[in-house]
Amino acid sequence: MLKINNLSANVDNGNKQIINNLSLAVPAGEVHAIMGPNGAGKSTLSYVLTGKPGYEVTSGDVLLSGESLLDFSPEERAAKGIFLSFQYPIEIPGVPTMTFLKTALNAQRRANGLDEMGAPEFLKKSRALATELKIKPEMLKRPLNVGFSGGEKKRMEIFQMMMLEPNFILMDETDSGLDVDALRLVAEGVNKLRDPKRGILIITHYQRLLDYIVPDKVHVLSAGRIAASGDAEFAKKLEVEGYDAYA
Amino acid sequence: MLTHDINLFPSRRDEKWKYSDLRSSLRHLSDGIEDENKPNFLLPDGLTLEEVDCEFSSVKNISSALAENYCNKAWKINVPESFKSDQSLIISNLNSGHSRIIININTGGCLSLVEYYESQSNSFINTNIIINIMDKGELDRVIFHDDTQETVRISSAIINSESNTKITQNAISFGSALSRIETLLTASGENLNATINGAYLLSENRHCDMTSNIELLKPNCHIRQLVKGVVKDKSNGVFQGKFHVHRPAQHTDAEMRHDALMLSDRSKIRSKPELEIYADDVACAHGNTIGQLDEDVLFYLRQRSIPRAEAEAMLTEAFVSDVFYSLKDDQLQENILTKIRGRL
Ligand SMILES: Nc1ncnc2c1ncn2[C@@H]1O[C@H](COP(=O)(O)OP(=O)(O)OP(=O)(O)O)[C@@H](O)[C@H]1O
Ligand SMILES: [Mg+2]
Repeated sequence: MLKINNLSANVDNGNKQIINNLSLAVPAGEVHAIMGPNGAGKSTLSYVLTGKPGYEVTSGDVLLSGESLLDFSPEERAAKGIFLSFQYPIEIPGVPTMTFLKTALNAQRRANGLDEMGAPEFLKKSRALATELKIKPEMLKRPLNVGFSGGEKKRMEIFQMMMLEPNFILMDETDSGLDVDALRLVAEGVNKLRDPKRGILIITHYQRLLDYIVPDKVHVLSAGRIAASGDAEFAKKLEVEGYDAYA
Repeated sequence: MLTHDINLFPSRRDEKWKYSDLRSSLRHLSDGIEDENKPNFLLPDGLTLEEVDCEFSSVKNISSALAENYCNKAWKINVPESFKSDQSLIISNLNSGHSRIIININTGGCLSLVEYYESQSNSFINTNIIINIMDKGELDRVIFHDDTQETVRISSAIINSESNTKITQNAISFGSALSRIETLLTASGENLNATINGAYLLSENRHCDMTSNIELLKPNCHIRQLVKGVVKDKSNGVFQGKFHVHRPAQHTDAEMRHDALMLSDRSKIRSKPELEIYADDVACAHGNTIGQLDEDVLFYLRQRSIPRAEAEAMLTEAFVSDVFYSLKDDQLQENILTKIRGRL
């Protein structure tokens, strides 16, 4: 489903190479986890995959369902179904959460040749999901993420993800800052989206999340490349032993 | 007497007009310069319109001088004592030539005033409005400026307020070849509570100048000013704001803000906020920012499938819309926001 082939990328106008000949494949239906030390390039990888301006690919390719993503704009990639749950969700004053979400959903539908979703259906769907994630209706009226607590922002990312039903999910430290109950809610949400047609890549520092969302594979990302891979048990070993062996 | 001599119009060499060169914008446009205009008035029940002679006023600015030179008549509306209405006084057809309008709001009277500037022709327009607000009077003024690109427009409101008055002003402008919306407010009484807000959204070669001068002569006045601007393409935004706090005007509480968003490298913003303070026990502040849309925020929206242009429009709307939160009329507020959305 997602194939990353010998990818190298830099930032800072080419002055800083961060992704170093990285290869990784996440087949449809699987959940993979990426762990690794701070500054290894995990978030950078997520930005390169989603096309953030300022991140330059110097070699290699990224394929989603066989199609190269690199020539597409961020919005085109998103419409093709790649979704990033941000490590640091952005606050957007003046834009109510629901307005934003409806615009996003309908932009995605339009790009895929579907009719816009009507207000009643949208409201019904968003209410049901908000209840599931224990998001207060009052929060959906507020400007997006403005004044939300760290945990609320992360839950809002998952809420958006469940509304948009992406083909490929990238989660960048969604578990950081969540209390145990929220962690369980988020994990339940993600597990619900596990599907033979969908791929999921989870960036995390903690084994704890992987107790709830059991990954098919676990990779260590160190110095901009995949340094080692293993099964779900591997994450437990990493938590005990750290990353020194993969530097 | 003025005649139609282009050199009598202010140019960039005049301090007050240095960012809005009226003279040069009139070089290729003469329609309207020598015409007297008859505006349309939609009056709330209980108000009447009088035609009076156009006399000399004490304020000597170009708008007044032109009106006095070219208008035989002035249009006068007297708002009686304690007048209240849920209808607005709507003035339109301010679309060519000169008009002088005089509004007297008597003690305790409340007036909601909406001015539509919607010219479809390439002509010069000068609207000169003199408003007197007596004790406890209230004015809620909305200016809606949506001219065709070629129009050259000046609008000057000369407002005098007595004690315990309240003024709320909201102006929205989409600019024109040159446009200037000027508010000259003199608070001759204590305890004025005024909100003087505005927003301009400009594209192509449009120019909009929002200039205000507020003279505070007596204690305890409370002034809030928020002007937001968005410039695209090769457009020009100008903000000039001045609070002049005279020695007796103790306990003045006044705040001026101008925030502008530049959406293209070829657009221009010029701003001149000024505070001149002679009283020692006052709280006065001004702020001025010029910025661009944040790429990280845009990326976030784009990552959610929202195309860049639509994301920019969303953020721009969010940027300007808080100017109009003070509008009491929900319908008018919605009309303005819809219009803004249509222009983004
Ligand atoms: N725009 C940039 N300019 C310069 N350096 C950058 C830029 N973006 C990222 N970096 C650097 O690239 C490296 C990788 O950063 P990245 O955010 O991808 O790390 P990470 O693996 O996600 O770390 P963490 O676990 O702390 O989230 C870091 O050293 C970071 O400082
Ligand atoms: Mg990171």
